[in-house]
Amino acid sequence: MWLEAFTDKFEAFVGVNPFTMLFAWVNLLILYFILKKLLFKPVKKMIDTRQKEIDDMYSDAEEAKTSSEAMRVEYEKRLESANEESEEILKRAVRRAQLREEEILREAGVKAQRVLERAEEQVALEKKRALNEVKDEVSEMAIGIAAAVIERDVDKGEHEAMIDDFIKKIGSE
Amino acid sequence: MDSVANGPKVYFAIHTPWFTINVTQTALTILICSILLTVLALIIRRGLKKRPGGFQVVVEKLVNMLYGLVSDTMGAHNVRFAPYIGTLFLSSMICTLLGMTQVLRSATADLSVTLAWALVTTGMVWYNSIKNLGFKAWLKGFTEPIVVMTPMNIVSEIAQPISLAFRHFGNVAGGGVLTALIYTSLGGLTSILFGWISEAFSLIPFLQIGIPAVLSIYFDLFSGFVQALVFSLLTMVYVGAACPPPAQPEVANDSE
Repeated sequence: MWLEAFTDKFEAFVGVNPFTMLFAWVNLLILYFILKKLLFKPVKKMIDTRQKEIDDMYSDAEEAKTSSEAMRVEYEKRLESANEESEEILKRAVRRAQLREEEILREAGVKAQRVLERAEEQVALEKKRALNEVKDEVSEMAIGIAAAVIERDVDKGEHEAMIDDFIKKIGSE
Repeated sequence: MDSVANGPKVYFAIHTPWFTINVTQTALTILICSILLTVLALIIRRGLKKRPGGFQVVVEKLVNMLYGLVSDTMGAHNVRFAPYIGTLFLSSMICTLLGMTQVLRSATADLSVTLAWALVTTGMVWYNSIKNLGFKAWLKGFTEPIVVMTPMNIVSEIAQPISLAFRHFGNVAGGGVLTALIYTSLGGLTSILFGWISEAFSLIPFLQIGIPAVLSIYFDLFSGFVQALVFSLLTMVYVGAACPPPAQPEVANDSE
């Protein structure tokens, strides 16, 4: 086995060199594994990963949109019911206030009536007393006057009865 | 360059008692092609980011195109062949383009290389046919549609790798020969047309500037691309035909 170097030797233009074929096969095989491992698989994986990520993102966004829409509808519904409720509360409060107002007015009326009645009673009482006093005074005066007129001490009891009778007559007139 | 129709240069020969190994220019071209592609793959692998830069976008686009082409031509179930097709295409491309350096010789202008690749294709076809059909059914396939066709079928099966190999080899080698011929003849043309004016014109063949470059773009660049594509496409078609889509699972037929 020996080596022989050439400087100016060419193969046939159309010819098959088994060694070159073997070399081409081995190189193709090695290159296949290298490129598959270093180029095609990682790049493809990167593309697929990114594609998946984008798909996920889109579906997430879609989901978020749907849920937010549902939430919005629910909030609107809730807001409407809250409005209704507040109106109801307001209405109830107004009604209660009205009732209370009426009650207070009625109570005030009753109280005023009572005060008036008492005042009238008192007035009547005062009047009666005043009348009695006047009666007493008038009777005494009458007796005095009569005594002075008669200038004699008549039977006091008899006179008093007579005067009372007289006053009663006046009072009843 | 002594002749425009030389084969690859032989650098050295290893003599053994039984046979002689000629180590040629082609081997060097293939080696350089492999190293270039490995370095390229390493660079791409290192720079791979989830948020791609401009270069990565181009690489991803090309890889996507490759996978799309394979799944369109061979069917989605055969996408596993995409790395091989890509390797074949890139090898063919780079091996052809390296010839443009004029230092190296296109490896695909050596029949040994294209024949080796074509035999790989045929090997894949046969392997997958036998795997999918079974050995007997595969042999029986040669007698179809009628028994008389058997010799024709066998010939076409043998012709397949040969036609693949010679198509690629012929295009690249022919292109190289044509470019060299035109280059040489343009030198002669310069001295014929302008040699009578001055002796200097036969020494400075200025017609050789520019014109061969345009032709080289067609014969080396364009033709190299087309041939790489054709070789890869035919490989896809042949192997794809040997790998039919998996049978659909039978729909449960509950009669009675």
